Amino acid sequence: MALTELNTSKSENPYIPFLSEITDVIKHTKIEYTFRMTYHGDVKPGQFFEVSLPKFGEAPISVSGIGDGTVDLTIRKVGKVTDEIFENYVGDTLFLRGPYGNGFDIANYKDKEILLVAGGTGLSPVKGIVDYFSAHPDDCKGFTLLVGFKSPKDMLFKKDFEIWKKNINIIMTVDYPDEHYDGNCGLVTQYIPELMIKGLTDAVGIVVGPPIMMKCTISDLLAKGFKEENLWISQERKMCCGIGKCGHCKIDDTYICLDGPVFNYTKGKFLKD
Amino acid sequence: MGYQTTTAKMNAIFADLSKEYVIYAPKRYVGDGTFVHIDTIRYGEITDLSEIEFAEKSNYSFKEVLLPISETLFYFTENEMKEADAPKKGAIVFLRSCDLHGLKRMDAIYLENGAVDTYYKRLRDNTKFILMGCENSFENCFCVSMGTQQSDDYDAYLKVAGETVLVDSHWDVLDAALAGATQTPVIPDSVTANDTVVTIPETVPQTLFDSPFWEDYGNRCIACGRCNFVCPTCTCFTMQDIFYTDNGKAGERRRVWASCHVDGYTDMAGGHAFRNDKGQRMRFKVMHKVNDYKRRFGTHMCIGCGRCDDVCPEYISFANCINKLDALVNDTAKEEN
Amino acid sequence: MLDLNTKKIKKNAYRVTKVRGETASRVRVPGGLLTAELLPLIQNIAETYGNGKIHLTTRQGFEIPGIKYTDIDAVNALLQPIIEKLNINQEIPGKGYTSAGTRNISACIGSNVCPFATYNTTNFAKKMEQEIFPNDLHFKVSFTGCANDCIKTRMHDFGIIGMTEPQYEKERCMGCQACVKACKKKSVDALSVENYRIVRNTEKCVGCGECVINCPTRAWTRSPETYYRLVIMGRTGKRNPRLAEDFLVWATEDAIIKIIKNTYGFVTNYIDREAPGGKEHIGYIIDRTGFSEFKKWALDGVELDSRTIVKGPIYWGGIHYD
Repeated sequence: MALTELNTSKSENPYIPFLSEITDVIKHTKIEYTFRMTYHGDVKPGQFFEVSLPKFGEAPISVSGIGDGTVDLTIRKVGKVTDEIFENYVGDTLFLRGPYGNGFDIANYKDKEILLVAGGTGLSPVKGIVDYFSAHPDDCKGFTLLVGFKSPKDMLFKKDFEIWKKNINIIMTVDYPDEHYDGNCGLVTQYIPELMIKGLTDAVGIVVGPPIMMKCTISDLLAKGFKEENLWISQERKMCCGIGKCGHCKIDDTYICLDGPVFNYTKGKFLKD
Repeated sequence: MGYQTTTAKMNAIFADLSKEYVIYAPKRYVGDGTFVHIDTIRYGEITDLSEIEFAEKSNYSFKEVLLPISETLFYFTENEMKEADAPKKGAIVFLRSCDLHGLKRMDAIYLENGAVDTYYKRLRDNTKFILMGCENSFENCFCVSMGTQQSDDYDAYLKVAGETVLVDSHWDVLDAALAGATQTPVIPDSVTANDTVVTIPETVPQTLFDSPFWEDYGNRCIACGRCNFVCPTCTCFTMQDIFYTDNGKAGERRRVWASCHVDGYTDMAGGHAFRNDKGQRMRFKVMHKVNDYKRRFGTHMCIGCGRCDDVCPEYISFANCINKLDALVNDTAKEEN
Repeated sequence: MLDLNTKKIKKNAYRVTKVRGETASRVRVPGGLLTAELLPLIQNIAETYGNGKIHLTTRQGFEIPGIKYTDIDAVNALLQPIIEKLNINQEIPGKGYTSAGTRNISACIGSNVCPFATYNTTNFAKKMEQEIFPNDLHFKVSFTGCANDCIKTRMHDFGIIGMTEPQYEKERCMGCQACVKACKKKSVDALSVENYRIVRNTEKCVGCGECVINCPTRAWTRSPETYYRLVIMGRTGKRNPRLAEDFLVWATEDAIIKIIKNTYGFVTNYIDREAPGGKEHIGYIIDRTGFSEFKKWALDGVELDSRTIVKGPIYWGGIHYD
């Protein structure tokens, strides 16, 4: 399909989406696919795009990978828009707005020992960080990915794990194993005490996942000796406009879409819905 | 420049201006209210000064002129998007001082907070604001507490007294139209006190977010959102995609007003909601109006028009809530000392 | 020694009671609304000529018991200011009520107070009183402000239920669905959502106005005209108590007044001359003549609004003990 100049370039009007081609689809589970989309422009892990299917609306989707002229958007089939994307994506295009939000700044983690704790789809917004340090292991003092999935069926980015494990330390666990599974079981927090972190006062912790998982993990990391100012989180909220207007994502004086979704914990701990 | 003229002359000027501007003012809509035989005063197009309701507070604010309740953003076909056209004419809006301060709150969100909102800006840039004076405070007004009882940031001030019209113009077009009129100093009517006085706690400790104080509101609020919809500073919206039933491939995306009190406001795809409790929604709104907004933009958001108190079907008073919250903050501080 | 014409006494709105020598006066209060200044006048009658008690009737009048038959003229004199204040039609001033068959016209409190009301029930009741009283044929008419029918119009010969035709301004609608929820939970579930906008099923809608009441933005408002549902021939009684059935839906005030007035002609023509006391409920007359004959008389010369739906044939149910 030929895409016109008009459709693929960004409009002056921040509400008008642009057309992006789906160049690849990676199916992780029955309900989670990664769509590789054409995108030329600056983008950071943790930022998000408003993915739009006219007639069905928009959904905010985190950037789960950054390529040369592409971004990966890992979409979970949980709503009207995402359901429709799953049904109708084949060989097609999607309308996008973005990227929005501050995203993770790799510079904040360089030359440090990094612990990244992710729960389920929480891995998407931080996957770009893992990709980076997996490709540039010398840019940090050590990288541990502690990741939990609900069950082996829910695992995301399986092929990426094969690449990552060459350069970074990975601990993967599942809440509900099946008979073919022979890895770690239980919650991610169970594995925090045994982690060997060399310089706790300087080590960086990045935590992304469901609200309860984040709360417990942060509590354990603080107990372990991580400093508040070295902890980073990403907050998922209802997003609608992505540009600080619609109000849905606001918490106190913070607009998650503008000031977040990534927060240093010294700020993030005060965010109360 | 101040002028004295007549209603006939002024109506003629507005008739002339109406070639380029739609004139909006608070009007009486007879029998349009929630209950039978109750009128509503809300914004509508006028062609004659006599249509303007000067004697009463409008139930709804002017905001719907700049932020329509339902506004089409663009039209789409399968691969094309077309921005909705702006209105052909500009707008002239009659409003009171408190609402004129409300305009600044809208500006802060739509012009300053993040990207400039195309739709708001194109309306805003073509709108002139005419101040209506307040000789007396209305029920539930607390503009003096909020410091919004006066404003000189208008394109014109206009007062009708019988057949006489007093105008203070800051607008060259109006100055030109009034060139022959008697010049006289005109100072807008404004109130110096309200029956309702509000004391705002400068900071509310987060420990009070879970206070039983809010539970009372959780039991009383019915989550209808009226307080948000009448508020000139509530600017939230939600987007809706419509497809035309006769052509399923074409449609439009529009935005509609949204309310932080109404169910669904914080719902994410998949169903998780962040504020199910109505008391917590009240806390969120109150903190936004008098505290959070100030931290970000430097002024309190609430402009003290009291429309939320006028409209609440459950008789929840926002003004009284702030005063009670202030007392709670002070009591809590004393206990801690 | 009492020597009475009980027929005349009853027509004068006094009751022949079970207590020998004592009657009871019935005070009409059309629409059930009166100014408080009248209460001392009623109190005075009860204390001067009655037994000091007052009964509130189901039809929203006052019944003053314990009055001696010999005091009827004196009581009529005291009733005169009440009759005048309530603007009751009277054939001979000073002689009390000059008929009793057409009962006090009752009404729920309506738009004077009630948020659900679609019209001023008292005003319509008073207007109807002016049109049909005094008339001694046995008619029971009542007015209710909305489909909740608090006055129980469906147990009357004529029940008038207010309706509004909801007006929808789609540009004022944000799709909050407060109307849809209210209609589903409190009324007849006549609203649905299509493309975030509301679709009203006009077949189902009963014109209760819940959508208008619950709309936070005035997307729903009332029609300038008030409409009415006219329900007919409900009754209590020994033989076949039953609820009234719809006759007209979306009817106008004028049509309803004319239909009720026409019915007096129908009853006069068809009433059983041998009926005990010369009284016969309209419903039993219609049972005898058939609905279509009634309809012919009732709609004679009636101008119906284009919106008005005329129901028929009507079959009444109820409980049959005969």
